Amino acid sequence: MTSSTATSVMTGAKAPAARPRSLMAIVLRDTVSQLGARLAVAWIGLLILGAVFGPFIANSFPLIARVDGRWESPMWRYLVPTDVVLLVVFIATIILCGVRQMTVPVKVGIVIWLLALVIPLALWAVLARDLSWYRHEYGTGLVVISLGVAFGLDLAVLVLVPLKLPLSSRQWTILGLFAAALTGILVLHPVKPPTTIIYDQYRELGRAGRMQFSLPAPVPYSPTDRLRDQPDAQLLAPDTRHWMGTEINGADVFSRMIHASRVALAIGFIATGIAIVAGCAVGGVMGYFSGRVDMLGMRLLEIFEAIPTLFLLISCVAFFGRSLYLVMVIIGLTSWSGYARFVRAEFLRLRNQDFVLAAIAAGLPLRSVLFRHMLPNGLVPVLVSASFGVASAILSESVLSFLGLGLIDEPSWGDLLNQATGQGGTFTWWLAVFPGLAIFLTVFSYNLIGEALRDALDPKLRDGASD
Amino acid sequence: MSQVPANGRPLLEVDDLRTYFPVRRGVFLRTVGHVKAVDGVSFSIQPGRTLGLVGESGCGKSTVGRTLLRLIPATSGSVRYKGEDFFSYRGEELRKLRRQMQIVFQDPVSSLNPRMTVGNIIGEPMQVHGLASGSGRDEMVAGLLERVGLDPAYVTRYPHEFSGGQRQRIGIARALALNPNFIVCDEAVSALDVSIQSQILNLLGDLQKERGIAYLFIAHNLAVVEHISDDVAVMYLGRIVEQASARDLYSNPKHPYTMALLSAVPELNPRPRRRRIVLPGEVPSAVNPPGGCPFHPRCHLTRQAASDADATETAEITVGGTKLRVLRRCAEEMPVLEQKQAEPGHCAACWVTK
Ligand SMILES: Nc1ncnc2c1ncn2[C@@H]1O[C@H](COP(=O)(O)OP(=O)(O)OP(=O)(O)O)[C@@H](O)[C@H]1O
Ligand SMILES: [Mg+2]
Repeated sequence: MTSSTATSVMTGAKAPAARPRSLMAIVLRDTVSQLGARLAVAWIGLLILGAVFGPFIANSFPLIARVDGRWESPMWRYLVPTDVVLLVVFIATIILCGVRQMTVPVKVGIVIWLLALVIPLALWAVLARDLSWYRHEYGTGLVVISLGVAFGLDLAVLVLVPLKLPLSSRQWTILGLFAAALTGILVLHPVKPPTTIIYDQYRELGRAGRMQFSLPAPVPYSPTDRLRDQPDAQLLAPDTRHWMGTEINGADVFSRMIHASRVALAIGFIATGIAIVAGCAVGGVMGYFSGRVDMLGMRLLEIFEAIPTLFLLISCVAFFGRSLYLVMVIIGLTSWSGYARFVRAEFLRLRNQDFVLAAIAAGLPLRSVLFRHMLPNGLVPVLVSASFGVASAILSESVLSFLGLGLIDEPSWGDLLNQATGQGGTFTWWLAVFPGLAIFLTVFSYNLIGEALRDALDPKLRDGASD
Repeated sequence: MSQVPANGRPLLEVDDLRTYFPVRRGVFLRTVGHVKAVDGVSFSIQPGRTLGLVGESGCGKSTVGRTLLRLIPATSGSVRYKGEDFFSYRGEELRKLRRQMQIVFQDPVSSLNPRMTVGNIIGEPMQVHGLASGSGRDEMVAGLLERVGLDPAYVTRYPHEFSGGQRQRIGIARALALNPNFIVCDEAVSALDVSIQSQILNLLGDLQKERGIAYLFIAHNLAVVEHISDDVAVMYLGRIVEQASARDLYSNPKHPYTMALLSAVPELNPRPRRRRIVLPGEVPSAVNPPGGCPFHPRCHLTRQAASDADATETAEITVGGTKLRVLRRCAEEMPVLEQKQAEPGHCAACWVTK
């Protein structure tokens, strides 16, 4: 025994150098180590950036302007709640993903930073309610000021606070999520863009010589800016002003492409998310309790599998009107059966695994047995098929838009594609190539990621790591 | 091996335990028969003592261990823990009681959750049962790891980063975490090499002396069991065929199957040399066990006895194409587990031995 203790201590001495890695971390690393998957992840990352920072990249309103001797940021003022929520969620996610690698002062700093963001925004919200002129006049300034104050506090904390709070990484995650949610709610309250949007407002101001300074967005056109101030802006071929041309109504195609990534991602993730949650719940119950419950569940699955998704989508859209949420919910509710089958099979297998029996023997509550011990181990095939599911959800939405049943004013790739063939058989190549390429690349990327994930998880292809 | 006296109320009494697995066939999964994995097993274990359970692979040893901990449902029979009917507990009460009875699994690969760190694997049960939480929990986990001979710094590691022997120790640490009175050690050392085997056996013995834990120690050969057990039960096809104190069983086996198993034990210490008894034929199926004594097609004693006996008392059977002559009684009547001419409490199920 002593000899073995000695060797374990020896290996233990080396241990801190290599961080312990969960199986999931290894699988993710293996997935991303393949070139195709890496390119695919890069493309999806680009889409995410486009979705989050769309208003900063393509916007008719200048990022910063000086009008009649006063500084303002029209872009900030015209942000809609969705823009702000996406931004907050994005930043919070980046912080949370990094939280494990951070030292304690950095963590403290981040939480205080988030709180510091919340407090001025809350103040602002209160003020804005009582003094509506105040918000109107200084709205943009206040956003900038509160961000500045937040950054300042953050820096001060990083330099000054060597505090050590003994919180586990899970507690940090909860705290971070809480702070992010609070920020989101408080930010939403004061975000009230002007109700009438005149896209040519700042172009007119520029022409009238009232704008002393302006920093336009890289693509100076909003996705729904129909260029009313410019005659004959419809269906312009790509040139230096409109890099991908304009569409039927005169809106800039590049701008619409960027903003459409939001719809593409949302439909993919949310529809698949709904499907996964429903599939895990039903499949988990079927697999754990088996027997009669399993039989009933199987019949339910067969019923849902018999529903033709696209047909149901078309009839629902025709009946209830066009809505992105409706489309998401329908795609989600018709595609969960595959996940349920996977989860059921996994749970049937896991039910008799020794570590699950050990959890039961240890007297752990059913909740823990199901969600801590079984579900994480049964989620693997679900992840693989989810990436294919996201791809097919995007395709469904594109098909719907192409059929003219998509969203009304929102930019979408399928909608652009639909406009490529106009009345009288005219064909506009830039309306076919760019959105078509985007759809193709996105679907292809998700499929590549799915393949890579499957390879990384295949125990026959892995040696040692998974045993 | 322990000094605890064998009198007083048993910690665990198993009575006529049966576990049948249905065999399903066809489109409608009709039940066409049963695997009688455990078919009427009875024994009792005193606090702080060890019962060894030995038998060939597939004879139902693991099923006994799992059924008596209610990890798989019993078909019939009863288990009394501290005099109370364990099978009558439900819900919350059962969950609380499970703390006192733990299991160490046969397969070190599948017995640890691959998605949890060692700290959580060992710590979660303690936390759930309110034995420790927060930094107290971390200290206890570190202490347990040290106790089983592992580096306490391993708490943040995942199971796949360990060798089989290390994992087995983690499994033992998890079982000990709840400070149980009784542990089922299901071939806890079979997957390990010999030097580590003896380390773990010593560890289990030390823990028994320290904490007075009772063990049901499952193994597939008698060599391992000899060092650790106070009593030994030998299983064949879901039944106990011989049961005795370890010393008596090794020096004076009363069942031909035990004799065969003993003859396969490598002789390290000087003991009367035995001729190796090779069992002919396959292990019979637990779905259709042979009639009479389930062991008779492979039994050397009944063949010897048949060659000396009257022709009317014998019968001819075919095993794997060869014709054998055995005692008629062995082929037709199931022997009962009865006291033999040995120490009191030494029972065997055999028509031939006295
Ligand atoms: N869940 C199950 N469903 C059907 N049959 C089972 C199940 N579990 C075990 N069996 C059968 O019950 C019998 C006894 O199995 P058990 O695992 O108890 O054997 P064992 O004595 O532990 O063997 P080993 O030494 O190989 O571990 C075997 O014939 C096995 O095929
Ligand atoms: Mg076994």
